[in-house]
Amino acid sequence: MDAGVLAQYVFNGVMLGVIYAMVAVGFTLFFGVLDVIQFAHGDVVMAGAFVGLATYVALHVLGVAAPAVVVFAVACAAGLGMALVGAVIARWLILPLRAAPAFNTLLVTLMLGSILRELVRLFYPNGSNPQPFPRLLPSASVNLGHFTLRLDTTILIIAGLVMIVAVNLVVRRTRLGLAIRAVAQDSETARVMGIDFERVVLVTFAIGSALAGFAGVVYGLYYNEVNFDIGLLLGVIGFSAAVVGGLGSIYGAILGGFLFAALQTVGSVALPVSSAYNNVFAFAVVIVLMTWKPTGLIAERASERV
Amino acid sequence: MTGSAATRGAARSHSGDLLVATAAVAAIGAWLWAFLATDSVGVLAGLLAFAAAAFVFGRRAAPRYRRALAARPRMATSLGVLTVCVVAVALHDQPYPLLMLCTVLLFVVACIGLDIQTGHCGLVNFAGAAFFGTGAYTAAILAAHGVPDPAVIFAGGVVAAAAGSLLILPVLRTRGYYAALVTIAFGILFSTFLEVNDSLGGPQGLKLHGIDFFGWRFNRDVNLGWTTASFYVNYVVLSLALAAGAFVFARRIERSWLGLAFDAVRLDEIAAATFGIGVGRAKIIAFTLGNFLCGVAGSVYAMMQGFIAPNNFTFGESLILVSILILGGIGNPLGILPAALIIIVVPQKLQFIQEYRFLLYGVLVVLILLFRPEGLLPRRIRDYFPGSGA
Amino acid sequence: MTAAADTMDGPAREAAAAPLLACAGLTMRFGGLVALDALDLHVAQGEILGLIGPNGSGKTTFFNVLTGLYRASGGRIAFAGRDITGLAPQAVYRAGIARTFQRSRLCLPLTVFDNVMIGNHLRLSHGACFNVFRRGALRRQYDEAVGAARSLAATFNAQLAARLFDAAGTLDMIDRRRVEICRALVNTPRLLLLDEPSAGMTRGETRELMDDILQVRAARPALTIVIIEHEMNVIERMTQRCVVLNYGSKIAEGPFRAVAADRGVQEAYLGQAVA
Repeated sequence: MDAGVLAQYVFNGVMLGVIYAMVAVGFTLFFGVLDVIQFAHGDVVMAGAFVGLATYVALHVLGVAAPAVVVFAVACAAGLGMALVGAVIARWLILPLRAAPAFNTLLVTLMLGSILRELVRLFYPNGSNPQPFPRLLPSASVNLGHFTLRLDTTILIIAGLVMIVAVNLVVRRTRLGLAIRAVAQDSETARVMGIDFERVVLVTFAIGSALAGFAGVVYGLYYNEVNFDIGLLLGVIGFSAAVVGGLGSIYGAILGGFLFAALQTVGSVALPVSSAYNNVFAFAVVIVLMTWKPTGLIAERASERV
Repeated sequence: MTGSAATRGAARSHSGDLLVATAAVAAIGAWLWAFLATDSVGVLAGLLAFAAAAFVFGRRAAPRYRRALAARPRMATSLGVLTVCVVAVALHDQPYPLLMLCTVLLFVVACIGLDIQTGHCGLVNFAGAAFFGTGAYTAAILAAHGVPDPAVIFAGGVVAAAAGSLLILPVLRTRGYYAALVTIAFGILFSTFLEVNDSLGGPQGLKLHGIDFFGWRFNRDVNLGWTTASFYVNYVVLSLALAAGAFVFARRIERSWLGLAFDAVRLDEIAAATFGIGVGRAKIIAFTLGNFLCGVAGSVYAMMQGFIAPNNFTFGESLILVSILILGGIGNPLGILPAALIIIVVPQKLQFIQEYRFLLYGVLVVLILLFRPEGLLPRRIRDYFPGSGA
Repeated sequence: MTAAADTMDGPAREAAAAPLLACAGLTMRFGGLVALDALDLHVAQGEILGLIGPNGSGKTTFFNVLTGLYRASGGRIAFAGRDITGLAPQAVYRAGIARTFQRSRLCLPLTVFDNVMIGNHLRLSHGACFNVFRRGALRRQYDEAVGAARSLAATFNAQLAARLFDAAGTLDMIDRRRVEICRALVNTPRLLLLDEPSAGMTRGETRELMDDILQVRAARPALTIVIIEHEMNVIERMTQRCVVLNYGSKIAEGPFRAVAADRGVQEAYLGQAVA
């Protein structure tokens, strides 16, 4: 294969990996503090993309045209909006069900995902069809043989990585992060030590969901199209990536995200079937990986307590 | 033991209760008829309000009469079957309500299958629609190749169970959230695959002919002597037989050592293994039985509809099946019937909410889980041989 | 059931020399953590052995390895002259080892009878066709099982036998423990492992439960018991011999009084009290 073509695949794969990693980090954070899986997380990504899109439309109507301002506003609206959504989910859906069987939390979040999808499909103007997402980033590009280095994609990769690193720094280096890690280690002890458990949970959900909101905007800016059902695929892949990397570990989630992007890229190149099968392949990979390593490649910290 | 004398005494005092219980079933039948037959939004709202009121106010008096019926499981089942038959005859010239009745009964079959998996054995399955769809597509392919229809229906179940065995390894190796993820991935994979695969009709789907049981042509109107009935009466008979069979089957499983093993596995896998219960075996049995029932229901549904397409079997449809379980009361096959009736018929009747149904189900299930997680008819403590005075 | 105990009594006396359970070099590692460190331990037929040690010394891990929930990283386990190392939990149970759990693992929504029957599962027919289609035969098995469960519960306490068809979740703590022990005894095991039976109970309840256990033991003299406890008076009263674990190895062994006087044992406990 031509080196340029190869580089192109790697470049696109990295972009995909960044998006998946942003989603996976949320899963891993939530699991860390509460031992729950928020199955609607993929749909939070989708909702973030649509909030960003709506913000763009609103600014357009208001006549704000400066690209930098628009991009900033779109990202902020998506991030803050989803942070709020995440906190609301934690406060009114996840925390009340703490004492109930895990199955109930699972179902509530699955149904919540369905609700988010349907809300967008039914109430976003023409929401049942794919929506064009504006190109807000400079579209300059450099051609190196068969390899096109696009400036907008480069910016997205860097922005995504910066946000992941920022979340990681918050968790590793700040007092808030210390509280999050304390709750993740042992919520009972953390509570005895005077940590406001509920607040930590809400903030964690806000941070993870904000990252998902950003991921939605990155997705939209990269593909220039969003649809109400993208959350299903993103959620399943994000969760699998978090599991493969070992739930509870941020580095694992990032690794898992890139692993999935790599598998998907290789699959789309190597498989002789049409690109229509891309998603079929992605889901099959999820099933196979789960069978192969049911608790992730990097083993989960605690074994079953007997 | 002096049990037999006591039981006989109890039976005598129950005969009055039994009469009341029978009258209640008849009333439910009348309600069902009105519910299926009405076209008016007002009447429908009134019926639902009436049912809700009866449910709330009847709850205190109900246990006595329920016990009277529960003590005679065979009679109770026959009474239920008879009631549905009478409703079907009363609706004989209204094809659309009959079609809805069939759909409800077939969904009951599929949900009983899921209930064995999820409600009893604790295997979460979010790919119910995929197994239902496997049965449907199997029927479409086999029927087109001239396989006799009874064999087609059976094969629908077998192929769905076989498709399930593809998933059995991941399902056995994973638990909880991870197992849920596997079935979700499979459910989405299934409908996506059908969309992109042209050899199975692609997004346009496939056409099927009506059922033919050795010359008994289901798609022909039935002569009842005094009048002709819509051909859907044939499908009511078949789906009712399947639903009753599945119901009795699930009940017997629950009231047995196998049902106990399922419960032990669901409630505490580690303790179950420590006391010698074959956890993997229980899961394989439950998963296979459940998928078989989904497949059978799917194949009959496909032949009844005469047309199937990938968007009948999406992940959203799987969530509907799970919603029925949750609304009815997980683990209780009896709850599935009213739940399926509400979830399937109400949006069909109220066309203006049809578009919003996924949204409404989502909200409904979230509210149930927050405020009444045990569902409409909560599962009862196991009584292996009811009415025998244990 | 007493008949079964009688037949086991004869060979038990002969086998007094060969221990019922013998572990050699038993090791369990979790990543870098060594929970059991080359543990050698034997239990004689008919003995009541106390297993004590500070928190995290590997007592429950030992039970988990023994019953097949964990796969030992090294070493061997011989039970009744048979190597049972690495067997699945189901096979260990079949071989005759039953246990209770520290954190009660009853199925609370199920009845007392159902919980006891979980322990009796090996003797029940659990084929799908049998259970669905041969209801008459199932009925006979069921009636027999109800009788057995009732008489087993009655050996503890008549009130418990009367509540056979109540949900286990409606019982109080001591009755739940009793049900747990019934579940472990219903299959007439040769070795019973009790993991901190006094956990979550008052002094008085603990004494009552221990009376019950001794009474059950009196009815089945061949039953061998290993008991993990933190309540030292329980250990003193119940056991003939104690093994003290610390950091997964045996630091002392012998009658309770001798062990309690041991300096190493006192330091192990003190060290934990200080930390």
